[in-house]
Amino acid sequence: MKYETVMGLEVHVELATETKLFCSCSAKFGADANENVCPACCGMPGTPPVTNKKAVELALAAALVTNSKITPVMTFDKKNYFYPDLPSGCQITQLFAPICRDGWVEIETSEGRRKITLAQIHIEEDAGKLVHDNRIGASLVDFNRTSVPLVEIVSNPDFRTAEEVVAYLEKLRVLLSFAGVSDCKMQEGSMRCDVNISVREKGSSELGTRTEIKNMNSLKAIASAIAFESGRQINALETGSEALVQETRRWDDNIGETFSMREKEGVADYRYFPNPEIMPIEIDDAWISYVRENLPEPAHDKFIRLTEKLGLSDYDSNIIIGSKNLADIFDGTLKHFDNPKEVVNWIIVELLSIAKGDNKGEDDIKIDCRKFAKIMELVDNKTINRAVAKKLLLLVWKDGIDPEQYVEENQLGMVNDTGLIEKTIKDVLVEQASSVEQYKAGNTKLFNFLVGQVMKKLAGKADPKAINELLAKHLE
Amino acid sequence: MQIDKFAGMVKFSLSESERATIEDQSRVLVDSFGLLKNIDTDGVDAMFTVLDIKNVLREDVVAKNISKETLLSNAPEQYGGYFQVPKTVD
Amino acid sequence: MSGLVALEDCIMQKDMPITVGSKILDGFVSPVNATIVNRLMDSGYEIAGKTAMDEFCVPSFFDESGEALDAIQVVSEGRAQYALSNDVFGKYRKQAAENGCCYIRPTYGTVSRFGLVQSVSSMDQIGVVCKNLSDGFALLSKIAGRDSKDGAMFSEENYSYAASVKDIRVGVPKSLSDFGLAENFRTVDIELEYFDVYRQVMYILCCAELGNNISRYDGIKFGYRAPDFRGINDLYTKTRSEGFGANVKLAAIMGAMVLSQDWYTPYYEKAMKIRRLIKESLRFDDYDVIAMPCQISENPYENLSLFAPAALAGLPSVSFPHNGKGIQLIANVKREDLLLSAWEVCK
Repeated sequence: MKYETVMGLEVHVELATETKLFCSCSAKFGADANENVCPACCGMPGTPPVTNKKAVELALAAALVTNSKITPVMTFDKKNYFYPDLPSGCQITQLFAPICRDGWVEIETSEGRRKITLAQIHIEEDAGKLVHDNRIGASLVDFNRTSVPLVEIVSNPDFRTAEEVVAYLEKLRVLLSFAGVSDCKMQEGSMRCDVNISVREKGSSELGTRTEIKNMNSLKAIASAIAFESGRQINALETGSEALVQETRRWDDNIGETFSMREKEGVADYRYFPNPEIMPIEIDDAWISYVRENLPEPAHDKFIRLTEKLGLSDYDSNIIIGSKNLADIFDGTLKHFDNPKEVVNWIIVELLSIAKGDNKGEDDIKIDCRKFAKIMELVDNKTINRAVAKKLLLLVWKDGIDPEQYVEENQLGMVNDTGLIEKTIKDVLVEQASSVEQYKAGNTKLFNFLVGQVMKKLAGKADPKAINELLAKHLE
Repeated sequence: MQIDKFAGMVKFSLSESERATIEDQSRVLVDSFGLLKNIDTDGVDAMFTVLDIKNVLREDVVAKNISKETLLSNAPEQYGGYFQVPKTVD
Repeated sequence: MSGLVALEDCIMQKDMPITVGSKILDGFVSPVNATIVNRLMDSGYEIAGKTAMDEFCVPSFFDESGEALDAIQVVSEGRAQYALSNDVFGKYRKQAAENGCCYIRPTYGTVSRFGLVQSVSSMDQIGVVCKNLSDGFALLSKIAGRDSKDGAMFSEENYSYAASVKDIRVGVPKSLSDFGLAENFRTVDIELEYFDVYRQVMYILCCAELGNNISRYDGIKFGYRAPDFRGINDLYTKTRSEGFGANVKLAAIMGAMVLSQDWYTPYYEKAMKIRRLIKESLRFDDYDVIAMPCQISENPYENLSLFAPAALAGLPSVSFPHNGKGIQLIANVKREDLLLSAWEVCK
């Protein structure tokens, strides 16, 4: 019998705000435990929520880039349940009137292009973090992430293959990160994905019993989890080895299997109701236009600018727009050094390899664009040569040195004194007389060796082109 | 009535006498709720706040108004800058 | 401006313990000042101390013998000139008028609730116990007005309250008692549509919001924690079962019930819809204020109907003794001037 897998996705994306959704605590990732917490976001009484305007605007941007229908008046609701990472015993979310509904995102896979339709996007607050400490036999609660704003993007059950799921997540990442909605880093949890999955006989129009898979923090894990879970479900249907139940399952990346998160109390009753402490938010056309007009350049437009206006190759341009961060570095550097090809080369050849050496992905690269551009400028005006420039870049990356000052202090400027270069060449020709003879006898490979000897004597600081020319002249 | 089920939702465990009292009182209340059925609410929007106010929003600017120490000083049990609870996983 | 002001123990003062009449907040020290506390002090009032209260403002609707009346007593006995309290269920309106005091429940959304421990968010309202309404409104004018820390307020920065109209039309509900108001006022017979379900709508909405607002008390971040427990669920259950009293437990359980899957639409949503009908039915067209008694029954649950309209519709209301009884006047939103005018005629 032929089976097909049917999947719907719930993607949580953290909004790139400075502060939390309902209080003015910092929303920055990576602070010490409970550093960014106030009475409101640790559930103390008497501190009512006041909604962050930026969070609404970023969610609005998410609605726009996913072609969603925006709700004219949205409201917030309370979802009730007890868990130690949820300090007020309820989560503020949107059930009855979410910010938007009925969007779509176009994806491209080996099967071609197709639209994935979205049921809705809603704004909600994140929960805190629990750390389990075996030494003291207790769990520890950190409320830094509590009330950090999220949007949950809920798709319809449109997916049939893991390839589609991965393409969709990649597309969402590009759309949302370029719109400034979120940095969409799966490893840091600013983009998270739950997969609702069921299998059915091909051709059937009814949905099978579905499970929800959680706890996948990379695209690879998602693809593996889908493969495992659909296999498990098909096997269960074919062999009757286990009865499928609607449940939540946790992906274990080390073992490579999903496990039931047995919930004792059966289906939870979250007792949603409208939050009387938060007034409705009306989103009128003027506000929508304002957000639309202030959207940063979308990835696709950027690609066209890079290829058509700046004359870069499709290949290079695709690397740059593959990451919002890289694209920002490109634009930031170009502002100080107006040579797109040079900037792209430095990013793709040098910067990415340095980052890779430090186990950093495209999104994690942090570089001062002004300093980065300065290095290119120093090469361009022949103050330093490329080899020195590469060393400088590494120092900017590691220690944040100022390139110009460093060159001066360490006398790394190129030797532009032709007389000195010629004198050095003469010395080398004497010292390396046998090599010179072999060269003249036809072993032309030795030319580069001789260039190297000259460069060595000049402490690596000469322009290789100048050495080349002068040496060639002397060897004639 | 399923008093224990609803009590469980809000994390109460009731003694025999508490349950008996609450069952009696809730029966009186629920009986009184019966009158709601008589009221025609077709086409009426639910009202969760009486205020006819919209868009109360705050600018996205960080403000820190309490130290971590003050915050944790209210905790029944804390450890290394965290709020401590019994283990939530096995 | 000066005077001693007592605060009900649900109004937060920085570095001071606060109990809300509950064991669940044992040991909790407030990290903030309520906005109104700052405003009182800035205006030269002095804080006299805290008054005891019904746990989370919830009275018994079956037996009122155990009610806390501290906020009324401090004023009637002269220990303070004013007491501020959270007028949710209307008991202070009743008790003030019956004990020679006045009470002002201002328009919902005009007094900041930052630093007021939530009971029923859509109806919580800080009100004033006072000896006479002109002093009470003078104090109110110092604390009312928008606060950026409370997201559910009107935009006015300040309110001043002054008597305005001489010739006040008083709507008197036919079915309820007569106060002999016709001597001083033009009275209009009115009928309170939906009166039969006032208390039910009020109770349903209140128990749900209260149950939710007290979910934050779990023995983890602050307040009481049960001494012995095994595991997280036991910690919750023991802490909350030991920490809350009977009236609050009843309300929270009823709250869980009316919000649960099978009950939400026929009860909770229905009550929210009727709330709109009630608000729209109080039109203040051919009457300026409504006069209501403060007691119609020995049954506290039935009396709740008298205090429901101001709470459900967010209307200002005052109560004071009149001809040997407690009277309660209700005006339209932000028409405290009419209440003050009417009171001046009565006095």
